[in-house]
Amino acid sequence: MLQNAQDALASGGNFLQVAGTPIMLAIACLLLYLAIVKKFEPLLLLPIAFGMLLSNLPMLKDSNAIMMHTEFFTDPDYMIDGQVDIQRVVSSGGLLDMLYLGVKLGIYPPLIFVGIGCMTDFGPLIANPKSILLGAAAQFGVFFTFLGALVLSALIPSINFGVKEASSIGIIGGADGPTAIYVTKSLAPALLPAIAIAAYSYMALIPVIQPPIMKLMTTKKMRGVVMEQLRPVSKTEKILFPIIVTIVVGLIIPDAVSLVGCLMLGNILKESGVVDRLSKTAQNELMNIITIFLGITVGATATAESFLNTQTLGIIALGLIAFCFSTVGGLFLGDIMYWVTKGKVNPLIGSAGVSAVPMAARVSQVVGQKENPSNFLLMHAMGPNVAGVIGSAVAAGVFLSMFTNI
Amino acid sequence: MELSQAMITGQGITLGEAFGEGLKVTGLGMGIVFSVLIILMIVLCLFKVIFYKEPKKEAVAAADVPETPAPVSSVRQEPENDMGDEELIAVLTAAVAASLNTSTYNLRIKSYRRVNNNVPAWNKAGVTETINNRVF
Repeated sequence: MLQNAQDALASGGNFLQVAGTPIMLAIACLLLYLAIVKKFEPLLLLPIAFGMLLSNLPMLKDSNAIMMHTEFFTDPDYMIDGQVDIQRVVSSGGLLDMLYLGVKLGIYPPLIFVGIGCMTDFGPLIANPKSILLGAAAQFGVFFTFLGALVLSALIPSINFGVKEASSIGIIGGADGPTAIYVTKSLAPALLPAIAIAAYSYMALIPVIQPPIMKLMTTKKMRGVVMEQLRPVSKTEKILFPIIVTIVVGLIIPDAVSLVGCLMLGNILKESGVVDRLSKTAQNELMNIITIFLGITVGATATAESFLNTQTLGIIALGLIAFCFSTVGGLFLGDIMYWVTKGKVNPLIGSAGVSAVPMAARVSQVVGQKENPSNFLLMHAMGPNVAGVIGSAVAAGVFLSMFTNI
Repeated sequence: MELSQAMITGQGITLGEAFGEGLKVTGLGMGIVFSVLIILMIVLCLFKVIFYKEPKKEAVAAADVPETPAPVSSVRQEPENDMGDEELIAVLTAAVAASLNTSTYNLRIKSYRRVNNNVPAWNKAGVTETINNRVF
């Protein structure tokens, strides 16, 4: 390795070739620390960090031991007509290359959504249909960040975000890991590791990011509002809901169906009550296996060349903006609802429209309870929270339908 | 959609272009997201009309009924409190509300008494075993 470094220096190699590997290994170790000690979304961050470690080990060129060849998926020289040469991946790729096909071909994120669907209870949303609008308003950060990314690209010469990159960065604001990965792998595969890491790290930071914004945008009186109890929801409604959502979304925005459709498939497995075994498998074994594959391969795409640049810094900054403005969007509509209903809606549930389930809802609960200890907002906040999942999948569909074929 | 080369590659975007395209997509995107979710909201409101019977009258009736449906087979009265009285009442209210399918707001526990558990030992053993078998 030292020899490599010297060669690189002698041949006028840049800083990246020399220091890239050690820096990437250090970043991988930092992420492992955050996942294990600080417990930042460890379920994903741990495999991501270890994948990063695996693919950044110093290796001889063309060694058979290399587990991940990112060039197969990004370098036009290795591709056929801009498409991944699957034959090459299968014949000369390593383990992670083959597993990465599941990301590249868009297999893993929808399968994770099946599992999420099995774990989601849409009851609070069905009981309070208004709350679905909060899930829409909280997508504001997604589009605002899209704009922000383009502006940043115009202002800073070393950052080049086109509409595809801007969409992938914006979707971080959906606070939904699989959705962000799904959009990014289609529109801007080179940014995948940075976006996945930003999305999952900020999701872990929601309890830190949201409360100050929530306090800023609501008054003490608003935060203390106790909401009416939710009506009971019948089984028929819970079964009809996934069917109707799939049809409506499919009719309006077909590009969102692979995500929303799988979410609803998982949900109907659970709500129908006749396929208990399938539902259990989808939310446990299937989801866990896919999570391992997804995490480790997304991490493995983080190479020094693709990760150590100003664009990554831009993505990390824009990701934070995305989360903040999604929260602002949800709270803003929450405030409006408070005024329209003359104080029946607690605006704090608006911030739960950011779809990180159930973390965002829990934050609403905690902040609300600080103001009024006998207030239980959790179930009310679950409505916008699960609506946010649908909302961000629809936003993803909007981006995909606009920019896939340009 | 018509897009300049700069908008696709991200090289040499002008500030004006960035704002123009950004605002357009923001408007269009938020519009689509809202319209999809508003349609779903309308459907959910219809759900309420079609499937949900207002339980108001039932609830009022229920409010009169529920003194705890204590089994009659009580043998001894034993108000020994190993958990706080309030906590026990909260649990009872919730259980009755769940079994009557109504809200805890419609119930008021006026009194309760503990009844002896006179299930035969073999029955108990059977129940415990079944429960344990299901733990995995």
